[in-house]
Amino acid sequence: MEKTNTNFNRRAFLKASAIAGGGLMLHFSALAKFGLAERGIDNAAEWHELTGYIKITPDNAIKIICPNPEFGQNVMTSLPMMVAEELDVDWKKVVVEMGPHDNTKLGPQFTGGSNSMRMYWKPLRQAGAAARNMLMQAAAQSWAVPIEEITTKAGEIYHEKSGKKGVYGDFATKASAIPVPKDVKVKDVKTFNVVRHSQKNVEGAKIVSGKPLFGLDYKHEGMLIAMPVHPPAFGMKLKSFDASQALKMPGIKDVFTIKLFEDGFELGGFDTRTFNVILAVVGKTTWEVMQARRKLIVEWEPAGDTKDTMQGHGGKREVIVPGELESTEKQMEKMREYAAKPAQVLRKDGDPETAFKNAAQVIERTYNAPFLAHNCMEPMNFFAHVTDDKALLVGPLQAPGWTEPTLSKVLKLSPDKIEIQMTRMGGGFGRRAYGHYLVEAALISKQAKAPVKLIYSREDDATYGIYRPMYTATYRAALDANKNLIAFHVKGGGIPENAVHQNRFPAGAIDNYLAEGWEIASNITIGAFRAPRSNFAAAAEQSFLDELAEAMGKDPIDFRLELLKRAKENPVGKNNEYDADRYAGVIKLVKEKSGWNGPEQKQFHRGVAAYFCHNSYAAHVVDMTTKDGQPYVERVFSAIDCGIVINPDAATNMVQGAVVDGIGNSLYGGLTHKDGVVVQNNFHSYRIIRMHEAPKKVEVHFVQNDIDPTGLGEPPFPPVFGAVANALYKSTGKRYYQQPFSSPQPEIPNV
Amino acid sequence: MNTKFLNRARYSRSLRTPIVICLLCCVVAFMAFTLNDNNLKAAGNKALPLIEKDSIASLKAFNQVYTVLMSARCMNCHPSGNVPLQGDDNHLHTMLPKRGQDGKGLYALKCANCHQPTNTPGLHTPPGNPNWHLPPANMRMVFQGRTPRQLAKQLIDPNQNGHKDMKKLIEHADDGLVLAAWNPGEGRTLPPMSHAAFKKAWLTWLNNGAYAPAK
Amino acid sequence: MITLNINKKTYNIDADPETPLLWVLRDHVGLVGTKFGCGVAQCGACVVHLDGEAVRSCVTRINRAVGKKVVTIEGLSEKNDHPLQKAWLELDVSQCGYCQAGQIMSAAVLLKENKNPTDQDINDAMAGNICRCGTYLRIRDAIHLASELQKKGNAGL
Repeated sequence: MEKTNTNFNRRAFLKASAIAGGGLMLHFSALAKFGLAERGIDNAAEWHELTGYIKITPDNAIKIICPNPEFGQNVMTSLPMMVAEELDVDWKKVVVEMGPHDNTKLGPQFTGGSNSMRMYWKPLRQAGAAARNMLMQAAAQSWAVPIEEITTKAGEIYHEKSGKKGVYGDFATKASAIPVPKDVKVKDVKTFNVVRHSQKNVEGAKIVSGKPLFGLDYKHEGMLIAMPVHPPAFGMKLKSFDASQALKMPGIKDVFTIKLFEDGFELGGFDTRTFNVILAVVGKTTWEVMQARRKLIVEWEPAGDTKDTMQGHGGKREVIVPGELESTEKQMEKMREYAAKPAQVLRKDGDPETAFKNAAQVIERTYNAPFLAHNCMEPMNFFAHVTDDKALLVGPLQAPGWTEPTLSKVLKLSPDKIEIQMTRMGGGFGRRAYGHYLVEAALISKQAKAPVKLIYSREDDATYGIYRPMYTATYRAALDANKNLIAFHVKGGGIPENAVHQNRFPAGAIDNYLAEGWEIASNITIGAFRAPRSNFAAAAEQSFLDELAEAMGKDPIDFRLELLKRAKENPVGKNNEYDADRYAGVIKLVKEKSGWNGPEQKQFHRGVAAYFCHNSYAAHVVDMTTKDGQPYVERVFSAIDCGIVINPDAATNMVQGAVVDGIGNSLYGGLTHKDGVVVQNNFHSYRIIRMHEAPKKVEVHFVQNDIDPTGLGEPPFPPVFGAVANALYKSTGKRYYQQPFSSPQPEIPNV
Repeated sequence: MNTKFLNRARYSRSLRTPIVICLLCCVVAFMAFTLNDNNLKAAGNKALPLIEKDSIASLKAFNQVYTVLMSARCMNCHPSGNVPLQGDDNHLHTMLPKRGQDGKGLYALKCANCHQPTNTPGLHTPPGNPNWHLPPANMRMVFQGRTPRQLAKQLIDPNQNGHKDMKKLIEHADDGLVLAAWNPGEGRTLPPMSHAAFKKAWLTWLNNGAYAPAK
Repeated sequence: MITLNINKKTYNIDADPETPLLWVLRDHVGLVGTKFGCGVAQCGACVVHLDGEAVRSCVTRINRAVGKKVVTIEGLSEKNDHPLQKAWLELDVSQCGYCQAGQIMSAAVLLKENKNPTDQDINDAMAGNICRCGTYLRIRDAIHLASELQKKGNAGL
């Protein structure tokens, strides 16, 4: 049995209380370290209080509260599993409930960044172990025996010596009065009964029987429906509107404008909103509101350059939001222009300039990728009931803690007067971390003086923004006369930010290394999209490494392993953000499981790629064939290292889904702009991968180790793009530099 | 037909009469090669009735017919494969609904599931018609990829045109699905001429011998 | 007043006859299992059965449903034990779950008409249902499993 490590400071304590009618309710207040490795979030020393609920009734009903909202990675199953394991209960008897928003008791409650397992691993195990200990103490007291003689098994308590036994429920009330132990042993990870065993999705039955689960399904008495009308283009704003016809339509209550933020409001990182003033149409039913919207006469005008005030570490700062109505061709032109200018140096090892000057051969390639829309299946929506003294908000949201402070300021209500309940989300992908639609729903409810559910249509949602940025990156490699790699250079840019991760592989493996970045400001809003930045960087870098390997006459896997060997044995520079052994581990595993060079693989066009992001490692071999004249990914082999795999089947589902998502986005995904208008505003033109395009097989393998779990929502996704590009090369003889790969490719590789 | 002869810019008026005479002779020669058995049967006798058949008018009319039949509103449901086409650019219909045996689609993607008796209001929604379907698998009536000659011959062949005789062919101009091309739903372009103009061209083509162009 | 037969029950709906069935189900009747995804019949989240055929309720106006039988996910089976529902749970298909009701309703028509669907049949039937989370492989496996269950008369699970 391990003791927990000193992740908890001296203020760690457990609070227990009795539930009315008897029983034990445990809140666990502890300080646990969580770190988000992404840029902009303090990696080092942010401590947050975490609480998990365990409710046990005298009837031995066990309820475990899930702190994090669900959008498909099955945190609602995996997180309670951790508690149940240490608590030692029969998983089949556990009831799981989604927790309310309560950052004091339940911790950060942020689902995203592939962080749920990592963040809650220790605290939730602690909660389960402590509760079990208290129940054992209660039994020991009741039976007047030493606690060392008490054992448990699946919710039952035994004193083997005397043959006494009972169930947890028998002791729950008594346990709630026991002081909480400070130093609790947790189980040896090799002895798990619940965790590391596949458990079914706790909401599975509700999903397949159509129970109300999602934000869009939420109902409240007296609830009205509201839909937004936002400008048709980035860079436009409302000039005037005539609602006289709309107001005459059946079921319509009101039409008005709302202004999200007053001038000078300091925006936080997740307060991103594309349009600060929008129209709202409020009515009784959804269809009536949809019909009334069509009768609005609205005039829009260019907004020109505007100013936003951003919160910042060193104090607030003002940013100019350019007023240009952008078009894709012009964006591409501008990117080419900026790519030729000097950029910010992000990392330099050795002397890359000299190495390139003296190189026998320089290979240079440029990669491009478009804006991507999240297009979660459930469009944006949220319910709000705001009165003068309080607010209730219910709906799909990834991080209530990041929007509540904003609501507090906008509604002028203290946070304790604001209640946010999280429903299940029909997809998140990062989009639902940005709570503008809560602010909108709240303001609409306030103005309408009624409970209101705000619903976005697919067009409203797809054209609203908060996209994955438009990216480009130019890679250069210098080879000497013996085809050794002597220098590596990446210069990445984007609208409005670049995707360069300067401390990731192959940094650390090459003596002369230069990473630079630049950006172009834009009014097109962007946000986190499943592995932000990585989702492009992996594609470009892994394609480039493939081309480099070919130029050097090496097998692409051997080439990567050589570099990783160098990074392990004799690393270059500091802050290399990956474990070379674990990185090599997934590459070796995928090589083995895919039968990399075996003769029976000759019928496929194979591409390989690997990547590290969000603390986990992933490698894929993509096998392509041709179907109906089109390239088709027929099978994929995936190797993942995410430490301890909490729920193996659910984890496999995640990887398979990420593979399908990666194939779809790399081949088909993307949107274009014309004078600020998003061209692809629904699924007839924004192409999402469908059943017939999905592979026949995605075989997933996890590296078996006992490392504390890291995430899985994002890490498998980015390298899929690179593997697909590399498979396409084998399939067509051409290299692919422009995403989506189904679009016209640049004629010649540049230089 | 070699239209160079009809190019007024190239030949002065004095040459017109001899050219027209040449033309008529060419036409006679042409008819010997382009008439098929069905045309003769439709004509009802063995001789070529030059007065009732006007191949010039017929072929000119067919040029117009061809532009309509090859436009998106018609051709999209006469694809060369087993998936209907969609849009002015004739891309494969999203979600790849299949023809099936009877042309009415398969399983959860039968045409009439989404294509209802009338157009669905709004942009990018399914257009409608009570009889929405593709030609059946055993008589696929492909337009896509057909040259004018191929299409003309196919259209008048009862073994390829849904067993239509001349009477039914003439009536077909007013068929419900044909008319639907001119009521395609919001946001879709119309065929290159009005239905009235199309019908006139269709009838002219048929009534003047239903000639097939040389190519 | 429009009278509709939904999941074997009669409802009198006070709505414009041009209202799509989707919104009547969700807003008037309170059956929210049928989902809104796109509103233009592209994604399949709104699929219900109309006299046994898979229609997209977001573009199917209620006047089309008069005199016909509407079946939604809530009414697909008496005890939520249709072979597809059982197979979906056995293979833990769902991720976010938003598209799955529509997937099951489309698959139900396939299994009714084809007792032994091949992968190609599944593609032909299911290409109209988008899953943004990418659970297609599991959906395919679950349809195969459900066809096995169907043959065994729903025994075995």
